[in-house]
Amino acid sequence: MTLRNVYASKEGKAIGMGGLAVILLVLPRLLGGNDYLLQVATMMALYVVLASSLNLIIGFTGMYSLGHGAFYGMGAYTSAILSVNLGWPFWITMPLGGLLTALVGAFLGLATLRLRQTFLVFGTLAFGEIVRILIMNWSSLTRGPMGIPGIPPPKVFGTELTSSTHYYYLILVYAILMVFAIFRLYYSRIGRAWVAIREDEVAASSMGISVFGYKILAFTISCLIAGLAGAFYAHFVTFISADQFGMGESFLILTMVALGGTGSIAGPIIGACILIVIPEAFRFLAEYRMVLYGAMLIVVIVLKPEGLAGIKGLFMPTTGGRRRTTLFRREPKVAAVKAGGSQ
Amino acid sequence: MQNKWHSLVGVTLLVGGATGAWAAPSTIHIALTAPITGDYAEYGNNFKHSVELAIEEINGKGGALGKKFELSVGDSKGDPKESAILAQKWTSDSTILAEIGDFTSTCCMASQPIYNRAGVIQLSPTASHTKFASGSKWSFSAYGTQYWEQPVMASLAVDKLKLKTAAILYINNDWGVDTQKFFKENFEKRGGKILAEESYFSGETDFNAVLTKLKGAKPDALFIATMYNDGALISKQREKMGWNLPVIGSSALYSPQLIQLGGTAVNGVYSNVSFFAKDPDPRIQSFVKTFETRYGNSPNFAAALAYDCVYLLAEAVKRANAMDRSAVRDALAATKDFKGLAGSITFTQDRDAIKSYKPVQVVNGDFQLVK
Repeated sequence: MTLRNVYASKEGKAIGMGGLAVILLVLPRLLGGNDYLLQVATMMALYVVLASSLNLIIGFTGMYSLGHGAFYGMGAYTSAILSVNLGWPFWITMPLGGLLTALVGAFLGLATLRLRQTFLVFGTLAFGEIVRILIMNWSSLTRGPMGIPGIPPPKVFGTELTSSTHYYYLILVYAILMVFAIFRLYYSRIGRAWVAIREDEVAASSMGISVFGYKILAFTISCLIAGLAGAFYAHFVTFISADQFGMGESFLILTMVALGGTGSIAGPIIGACILIVIPEAFRFLAEYRMVLYGAMLIVVIVLKPEGLAGIKGLFMPTTGGRRRTTLFRREPKVAAVKAGGSQ
Repeated sequence: MQNKWHSLVGVTLLVGGATGAWAAPSTIHIALTAPITGDYAEYGNNFKHSVELAIEEINGKGGALGKKFELSVGDSKGDPKESAILAQKWTSDSTILAEIGDFTSTCCMASQPIYNRAGVIQLSPTASHTKFASGSKWSFSAYGTQYWEQPVMASLAVDKLKLKTAAILYINNDWGVDTQKFFKENFEKRGGKILAEESYFSGETDFNAVLTKLKGAKPDALFIATMYNDGALISKQREKMGWNLPVIGSSALYSPQLIQLGGTAVNGVYSNVSFFAKDPDPRIQSFVKTFETRYGNSPNFAAALAYDCVYLLAEAVKRANAMDRSAVRDALAATKDFKGLAGSITFTQDRDAIKSYKPVQVVNGDFQLVK
């Protein structure tokens, strides 16, 4: 049995996933209490969630959004304001942060999802800037450019989560839940409808799929997940300000999805991990590390425009079928369309 | 390796046979977090160069407590995420006594809880947020807040230049809001009147609309709470509009770049300095000369402040007479009338620096002290 077949088989996958889960669970032990590496792991998990949520919009439904940093920030600000001003506990402010973000996302969807492609890009880009400027100017609520310092850390059974290990487990649980939820969604009726819309809107609507409704649903769920991630970030970093959720964040998350591979479950995970690890791993290069970062992006864009997770042979099963277990597989239809399109 | 042996020998010779000396680290290890790349790279490199310079000097004179300084540098890109990751990196290393950095307040405040938890000194040369240093007993800012700086500018405007009214243009961030607030307060306290105020966001390049609006209020003077790059741009657009009046800014305008970018438009602009590169003080002259010959550019205020930070730490270590993080923190907090390149420093109870400022003016494309 070749390695490729092992990856493809159901048992191989189960063993692989189980092994990964065990490694993730004992990671703080493996790192021997090295808080630095644990902080990197925490940021990786946070961005896995953010990139995966953006992938719902870009990869699954085939829409564009350049305002994801704003949704992330909205969740952070909502949770921070509620807990600092009203003293509400994290376990209430976090879901509220997510819900408010989802609500705003739904309204934004109602207004902008009628736009197509480039126009939607501009719409969401503008929205991101509106949120930033709103945060900067609504000083009575957001403290404007001064940011919000002293956000209390979350409490579990009366004890404050303060160590890096605590935060790591918190975000790990959240990331696993979200990736699993997205995975289940993708292979549900809803996910199928999204993919149908991505492939051909007209055909999808002629089959009875409510294109607009499903698009808004994708947008709302994506915003919900990003908002919850933002709430986590606020209580993790304990100081937030508008410049932490600007266009740079939106582009970073988008780059993660694009680099890792749109439309697959593993793509954004891989993208997020790489883009968080690379700048840290090449710290010794000092000022040249960002050159390397840029060069790496260009190489990927030139050689694998569909992103890394589209690598054939590494993630593709050699035997057909078993759709529900092909976690890493890209939709064959996309490959066909891509191949046709490039000629 | 040789360095290590040297210092080990030094330790034995100077500290003597005390058994504790063998267990103590052989160097004074400090970390620097700075935006070496990214938007603030100019400041980050000024940090790095001057900190390296200061450490070389101190080590050349035998270090502190007979131990040499050792430096680890981390690039934060001005990104609070990376600054926090670096904070974890430094605090995980038990040999690190203190950290110098970061450049922006946001970065400093995002990493503050990590230093606070670990109990490591976080000494920022430039964090200007009024809530930064008071946020943790381990945080210090050598920058001095606008609270101490703006009375100097307001007094210059009212008492010396006899200006009665002013309009304010400020950048809408934590620093800009503070600068605007404290100038206004002090200007009005001295009997001046603010006729109009406008703000803009970082990254804006067209100031014609706000300038026209401010011009409409017919003030005697224009106060700009901006960094030097925006200040140069604003001055150029103001000159083009044919609006000539005294322009007053804060210390952030003081940079050779202001004149390079602004040309003749910045002639007459008032700023203030705690560090003045042409100060005849021999200590400043030797620093400027060494910096220029080594790195090919003049040091700015960030360089001088970062340089002072190393000396602040060295003095604190000497006064604490220990390598213990907590003892050095207490000694640092007790700093009084420290004579730095960028003025004298006394820390308040909230660990903000009280500093001295001198007004300067651009005269024929060069900064000169206002007499």
